[in-house]
Amino acid sequence: MIITLDKKEFMEGVGSVSRFAERRTGTLPVLAGIAIIAGDDGIKLRATNLETGIDLKVNGKIQETGVVALPANTLREIAASFSGGGTITLEHAGETVVVSTGGARSTLKTLPFEDFPTLPLPEAPQAKFTLSGATLKSLVTSVMNYASTSSVRPELASVLLAAEGGSIKAVATDSFRLAEKKISLKATIPPFTMLIPAKNAADIMQTLPDEDIEIQVDDHQGAFFWSTGVLTTRLVSANYPDYTQIIPKSFIADATLLKKDFEAALKRTAIFSDSFLKVRLEFDASGKKVSLSAQNADVGDSSETVSGSVSGESVQLSFNHRYLSAPLSGLASDSITLSASGIGRAMVLRGSGDTSFLYLVMPMNQ
Amino acid sequence: MNRLDARELWEYVLTQVELSISPANFNTWFRDSSIVKIEDGIVYIGVPSQFFRDWYLKKFNMLLLKIIRSVSHEYRNIEYTIVKDDRRRQPKEPRRTPQQTTEMPLDEFYINKSDNLNPRYTFDNFVIGAFNELAHTAAQTAIKRPGVTYNPLFIYGETGRGKTHLIQAIGNQFKKLYPTRKVFYLTSEKFGTDYTDSLQAGTANRFKEKYRQFDLIIMDDVQFLSKKEKMQEELFHLFNAFHDNNKQVIFSSDRAPVAIPDIADRLRGRFASGMTVDIGEPDSESRMAIVRKKAAIHGVTLSDEVVEHIATSVAGSIRELEGVINSVVCHTQVKGVPPDLAEVRQSLRSFARPQKTVSVKHVVSKVAEFYGIDEESIYEKTRRREVVRPRQVIMYILREDFSVSYPTIGSKLGGRDHTTVIHSCEKVKREVIDDTELAKEIQDIRTLLV
Repeated sequence: MIITLDKKEFMEGVGSVSRFAERRTGTLPVLAGIAIIAGDDGIKLRATNLETGIDLKVNGKIQETGVVALPANTLREIAASFSGGGTITLEHAGETVVVSTGGARSTLKTLPFEDFPTLPLPEAPQAKFTLSGATLKSLVTSVMNYASTSSVRPELASVLLAAEGGSIKAVATDSFRLAEKKISLKATIPPFTMLIPAKNAADIMQTLPDEDIEIQVDDHQGAFFWSTGVLTTRLVSANYPDYTQIIPKSFIADATLLKKDFEAALKRTAIFSDSFLKVRLEFDASGKKVSLSAQNADVGDSSETVSGSVSGESVQLSFNHRYLSAPLSGLASDSITLSASGIGRAMVLRGSGDTSFLYLVMPMNQ
Repeated sequence: MNRLDARELWEYVLTQVELSISPANFNTWFRDSSIVKIEDGIVYIGVPSQFFRDWYLKKFNMLLLKIIRSVSHEYRNIEYTIVKDDRRRQPKEPRRTPQQTTEMPLDEFYINKSDNLNPRYTFDNFVIGAFNELAHTAAQTAIKRPGVTYNPLFIYGETGRGKTHLIQAIGNQFKKLYPTRKVFYLTSEKFGTDYTDSLQAGTANRFKEKYRQFDLIIMDDVQFLSKKEKMQEELFHLFNAFHDNNKQVIFSSDRAPVAIPDIADRLRGRFASGMTVDIGEPDSESRMAIVRKKAAIHGVTLSDEVVEHIATSVAGSIRELEGVINSVVCHTQVKGVPPDLAEVRQSLRSFARPQKTVSVKHVVSKVAEFYGIDEESIYEKTRRREVVRPRQVIMYILREDFSVSYPTIGSKLGGRDHTTVIHSCEKVKREVIDDTELAKEIQDIRTLLV
């Protein structure tokens, strides 16, 4: 195999593909590699960690077709060290590949390509639809951080992507909080549900382009096709809990506050939170304010009020401050609405005027 | 075909596959797979995802077919199914709970650097019985008014009776009750090395400072200070400093202060000046309580008969008891269910002291060799002093260690009457308590016989 590529093309390709190579040690060595396939339909870079896999086309000249697998780490380091324009040539002979660019020549040991797994695609797709990459990314990235990190319940360690009627939504929860992002679509797409493991979702969303993407889903596998590549991922085949039940229907108190005020107050109060990261929130309807307080036996205590429009009953709730601050940075609106549904019951946080995103957090025991 | 057969078949398949592919390949592709069911000659292999199914079909199908056909021609074909996440979890589920307890022990090794205390030792998991009630009460009293009521508190008892647990629990409790005060736990051996180190480094003053900053000092195994005069002196001064400032000191030892050999009298007196309390042999109820509690700590509930069997059949210290419980816990974690009585009996065999069926002749020759006398003279009817004593020792050992009957001992040792044997055994038994020389001799002989 002899191929010549533009440096920039190579850099970008290796950058996105190496994300999908296996990073853990102790697995099959070839999984930590990138396969370079130069065939009749151009040059493709391929990597997989048996959870997700990618096949990415890169532009380049093929002088001689062939296949080879090279360690992803080394390739990434080489690619990262490039500066300026120019081309890079890879020449495969025997057990080595010679990488030459400008005056530099390096010889790389190859990995056994015959061990490189195939990328599975959905066999009998139950759903097949096209969505813009930008929409898909905004859906999934706004919730994926709230999925559970424990693998005890695989369904909670996943992001739910589902379409119904004219809208598509992404949901993630770790059973302490839940985030839902819902976007209505102009074109109708068939109803479907898919559970993408949250770990895979993060890598996939970083890689997908903004252009239109075709998504195919079957029971166990999901795939994303775009003009220059394919991404495939294992799906979790379990039932997602019926989360709509826990979203409160009625609220006893509402508060609308400026986001930056609340964020700053929370940040200061959090310094005094105890080992459980507890921060107390008090809705004061008569005083038109929400007060935040925290105390720590070793540090001291602090309390602060944020004024805004507050209605309903006066109620006190305690939260893990990390769970309160997490969604704030992702909200585009200037003000936020906190809606409490009662003591010991969930509180809902939304950006004012933004109905697409809902964040629900459970309070701590008082 | 039942499920067990499917599992056995898969295990066989794995052993065969392992031989024909590289370990990395084997670990990557076969770790999470299993045979789900066997139906109508079709073997259904469950794999975690489509990555696996595709690869199995491409690479391993022929190999697997060959292997299962070699087992039986009944198996016609292999199908690969992707196992649902919730179904895959199920076989692991019963194991998961005990597995969490395997995670826990990581904490057990965690020792707080600033005070050397092991947080695992608390009063909560300390089993109280008639044998250690007094020691426990003394500890509780001491902690209520540290430095005043019992200073020093001296706890002694044989190895494995829970001395360390008790004194560390005092330390941990003290820490909880008085967060601002400082505790330090150390063994006398550590004290010794610290002392010599500081002498070598020429920082003896810093050594004194270091210890005097604490409010409670707990020193384990002080008997090791015997014959170390300089260290005894240092401890004596340290103790005085503590005592004068009403700071609590706690000692433990494997014997009473008076019985610690080669220790300065002034220190011996100090040891005994506060409260001296011993921990005796645990009675059978306490042993059962201990077994139950230790197993419960590991999240394992044992049936009453198993608990009773362990408590009665494991002679010796609580430490040995703990060893047996650990093996039972391990068993539970591996198999998923607590062992029943038969299984416990089986595994206890490896813990039981080897059943010593040693010939009388062997004992006689060893003892004769030890005392440097002629073996034949033991059997003779002589009453020479140098022969009588070894003969009595032989009888005592045969009786105590090997449970040989009195008449048998008599007849084997030159046809003596069984009453003679009883007399000899009783005599040695009496003497061994006071005569440390004799006790040591018998101890040495025992090591020769093992």
